[in-house]
Amino acid sequence: MSESLIGVARPRIDAPDKVTGATRYAADGYVHGLLHARLVLSTEAHARIRGVEKDAALQLDGVVAVLTAADLPVVKSGTDRAAEPLARDEVVFAGQPVALVVAESEAAAEDGVEAVVVDYEPLPAVVDLEAAMTPGAPPARLSAEEAGGDLESIHAGVDKGEDDAEEEQLSANVLDSVTRGSGDVAAALEASDAVVSGTFRTPWTYQAYIEPQVSTAWLEPNGTLVVSTSTQGSFVTQNELFRAFGLDFDKIRVIAEPLGGAFGGKFALVEPLAAGAALALRRPVRVALTRTEDFQATNPASAQITELRIGGRKDGTLTGIEARMLVDRGSNAGWGVEGITSLLVAGPYRWEAFDLRGYGIQTNRFTFGAYRAPGAPTAAFALESLVDELAEELGVDPLELRLKNALVEGDTAVSGNPVPTFGAVEVLERIREHPLWARRDSLPEGEGLGLAAGYWPGGNEPAAAVCRVDSDGILTVITSAADMSGVNSGFQVIAAEAFGMPPDRVRVVTTDTASGPYAGASGGSKVTYTVGAAVLKAAEAAREKLLAAASQELEIAPDDLEVVEGVVRAKGAPDRSITVAELSRKALRFGGRYEPIEGHGGSAQTRGAPSVAAHLSHVRVDRETGEVELLRHVIAQDVGRALNPALVEGQMRGGATQGIGWALFEELAHDEDGRLLTGSFLDYAIPVAERVPPIDTLIVEVPAPDGPFGAKGIGEAPVVAAPAAVVNAVAAATGVRMRRLPMTPPRVWAALTGTEEPS
Amino acid sequence: MIPAAVGYHRATSLEDALEALAEPDAKALAGGQSLIPVLKLRIARPSLLVDLGGLELRSIERDGDELRIGALATWKDLTSSLELDSSGLAGLADCASSIGDLQVRNRGTIGGSLAHADPASDMPAMLLALGARVETRSPDGERSLSVSELLVGPFTTALGERELITAVVLPVPPPGSGSGYASVEHPASGFPLAGAGALGRPDGTKAVAITGVGARPQLVPESGSLDDVEVYGDRFAPESYRRHLAGVVAARALEIAQVRSEGRR
Ligand SMILES: Cc1cc2nc3c(=O)[nH]c(=O)nc-3n(C[C@H](O)[C@H](O)[C@H](O)COP(=O)(O)OP(=O)(O)OC[C@H]3O[C@@H](n4cnc5c(N)ncnc54)[C@H](O)[C@@H]3O)c2cc1C
Repeated sequence: MSESLIGVARPRIDAPDKVTGATRYAADGYVHGLLHARLVLSTEAHARIRGVEKDAALQLDGVVAVLTAADLPVVKSGTDRAAEPLARDEVVFAGQPVALVVAESEAAAEDGVEAVVVDYEPLPAVVDLEAAMTPGAPPARLSAEEAGGDLESIHAGVDKGEDDAEEEQLSANVLDSVTRGSGDVAAALEASDAVVSGTFRTPWTYQAYIEPQVSTAWLEPNGTLVVSTSTQGSFVTQNELFRAFGLDFDKIRVIAEPLGGAFGGKFALVEPLAAGAALALRRPVRVALTRTEDFQATNPASAQITELRIGGRKDGTLTGIEARMLVDRGSNAGWGVEGITSLLVAGPYRWEAFDLRGYGIQTNRFTFGAYRAPGAPTAAFALESLVDELAEELGVDPLELRLKNALVEGDTAVSGNPVPTFGAVEVLERIREHPLWARRDSLPEGEGLGLAAGYWPGGNEPAAAVCRVDSDGILTVITSAADMSGVNSGFQVIAAEAFGMPPDRVRVVTTDTASGPYAGASGGSKVTYTVGAAVLKAAEAAREKLLAAASQELEIAPDDLEVVEGVVRAKGAPDRSITVAELSRKALRFGGRYEPIEGHGGSAQTRGAPSVAAHLSHVRVDRETGEVELLRHVIAQDVGRALNPALVEGQMRGGATQGIGWALFEELAHDEDGRLLTGSFLDYAIPVAERVPPIDTLIVEVPAPDGPFGAKGIGEAPVVAAPAAVVNAVAAATGVRMRRLPMTPPRVWAALTGTEEPS
Repeated sequence: MIPAAVGYHRATSLEDALEALAEPDAKALAGGQSLIPVLKLRIARPSLLVDLGGLELRSIERDGDELRIGALATWKDLTSSLELDSSGLAGLADCASSIGDLQVRNRGTIGGSLAHADPASDMPAMLLALGARVETRSPDGERSLSVSELLVGPFTTALGERELITAVVLPVPPPGSGSGYASVEHPASGFPLAGAGALGRPDGTKAVAITGVGARPQLVPESGSLDDVEVYGDRFAPESYRRHLAGVVAARALEIAQVRSEGRR
């Protein structure tokens, strides 16, 4: 038998093309007769549009059209970005697309944008999250009532506790409230030996993918709308376009091009603009956002305010948790993270009683969108800060406190569901063994170590895949999952192992909606767990075809055959063999006798496969300037099974790094009129390479029973508790507990000196 | 992010450049590290760019007890010049190396930086502490200005429309002097929230100047007190923090200068 291919580090299959510049991204495709669209963005956070003056722009050389909402053939009602790619009568955030200037060149379109004049009638801008929810607050959107449509779905799935307290008085800006409760929290806290509480703030945070959003749309002669785009999900996008424009479903084809990063942000945001313009003008149109536009007009992560209180007993038992979480949805009426964030705020721990509330509130800031583990970093920041404080008050070791209360399989989570296989204990134990942890009480002055843990529940969605052997003898894996964070490289090794092929004889193809097997969007840490499971079955199905053919060819029963490195051979008599390539050639030809070696597989996972990660962060704080320097970061993550450790470690490092961004750098700030103040990388700081410390990655493997070879989704878990670990490290270094992220030097200095903190 | 249409002329000589700048709304182009971003944002819309890149204004030379830095000397030229390899001038290299990243340092020039007069730029503080002067050329002739005469306010200089900086000239500090530069940077832009250049001479006299905190770089008075220094606050770094930081970087720059100065040892 050959060695297992699982668990061997190998380069990503897309790496050579990417590092040599051979990859064609969505902005690179050549399309004959292409027009370029640029956006006129709202300069007001909230206003009525009185009119749009197009004439001056239309006079300019190269400008073909100036399109406003009325010019796009949208049939969908509602206020989501697919129904309203361009603002209709009301703008609800500064940066909202109001018009499209379409021209023969990007420069001409930009000239046109400058010449378009929008006449606004300003309305009160709702920018303050707490003020927005109080009764009597001005509405962030006037047209909500009339829009109807999606509003219904908002309330569906809301999980209200039975013993709901008396109705709170809330303004109409509160689009959704979620309550989860069990037991008597007040009594549990009352009976605790220590209770700690705090209010925690996190800002709007930008996904900061390398490739700004871009889509190109055109019509085939038969009227099929083709959209070549940088997206996380081709079928999701097809569905959005279907609902937006009411075309026949099969007259929409979406091609997910290689992604230059997405992190949750690329879901049918610019496609309706490109498609709408192409349908209106019947010419190919590309919408390629500049970085400045991408900052303003897209869908970053929500700002949140979390009030949290927890209690514990001297024996190290956690008792009650009470949370009130305000989530800024901006203009997003369709969904928010109030549900997931108020679930995750309970952390990977058991509680005797809980009362967790989340509120989704509309304001005149952005449109909320997903960003790697939506709602989770904020929740972990609040909880893990308080867990550390509680440990101190109780005189219990912070790691032991977490260990003692860590959820294990079979416990009941605050969702009410049983906890599936769960690696919280294992990752905490790995951190305890790390030499850095032993040094926590002997660090030099000004340095500190912070611990934090957090998890991501993972997602499920049915998916299918095809595996077939082509006439060159190579096993081709076909899926429609956008290749995000290296999922194709995971499919490669799954198929190789299941089929019996060397990985370099497996290729992975991402197909479009017209021909590919179904896959949901790449996100929610579900691709490897669900599409990967489908690939596994497809490879097994193809292997059966292979064995059937080989059995006839070699005149040996299939059960007596094995497939090793692309060769089918008799068990125990390896010289009686035939290669996969030879068999496929025999099958794929005129007059051939064997069915094509091709298999289809599907999956419908029902059990969750959460991934837990614990972090240890080592910082030095300059008390004079408030600067926080990261010296080292350790992450231990339960990944189920590391199909390719190189990719897994890449995800762990990337997640920890983005968490460091949350902790120290990233903030989308608005002025009091709701205009963006940090709309470029000159103002919006991200963790650039020189500021990221060495990161130790400790892979912990607690196999997921239903995952392919035990693998689970691992992309989101590593970001969750990283900011909290840095916060706890700063507290250890300085004695000061930061309640607002990011911990910029001025804020840290203000906290250290007791002066007023910058907002 | 896409500039408006603009003409381009590559100057063949200083005279040629000055002549080309006669066109209304013409603008000189050196390393482009400030001008090109401004064009992309369409904040500036010159009619013509007069590229100075071909002019021989790049050398860094000792001339008796003066150091002469050509206006087109890049930050990279400063960080690698042997002429700055003395404790008295080391602060210039410190300062240049703290600017931007390598790509920016490979293109950005000292003359362009001074002419751009960004109140957050690093180098003016170092030049002020070293007592540098700026030499210019215009159709009216040549003149020499001190750094504080040149830098009038944010993005505003005393330069005439057709006046070009040709060199930065500074007295070489007496042997045994030390200079240093210290700053705390904005985490996104890398520009200083507060920066300070300092010179310590062997006779114990010193000069410290700060940048990034007000409308223009300022010399710190003999007393060392920053009370009268003009400090602006903004959303990111309020005035109280910036004022405090000015004191911190001033002390740190002076410490570096004094450690380098033989007078101290
Ligand atoms: C990413 C980035 C980071 C940066 N970080 C920093 C930093 O940390 N600290 C810092 O101080 N700076 C920083 N800068 C600015 C940088 O130092 C620029 O090089 C400098 O400001 C301008 O020099 P330049 O040669 O590129 O001038 P240009 O951009 O070519 O010109 C700037 C202006 O000066 C005029 N001009 C140019 N040369 C002359 C001349 N000889 N005479 C008269 N007028 C002239 C031009 O007409 C224009 O108005 C950064 C820039 C970038 C892009």
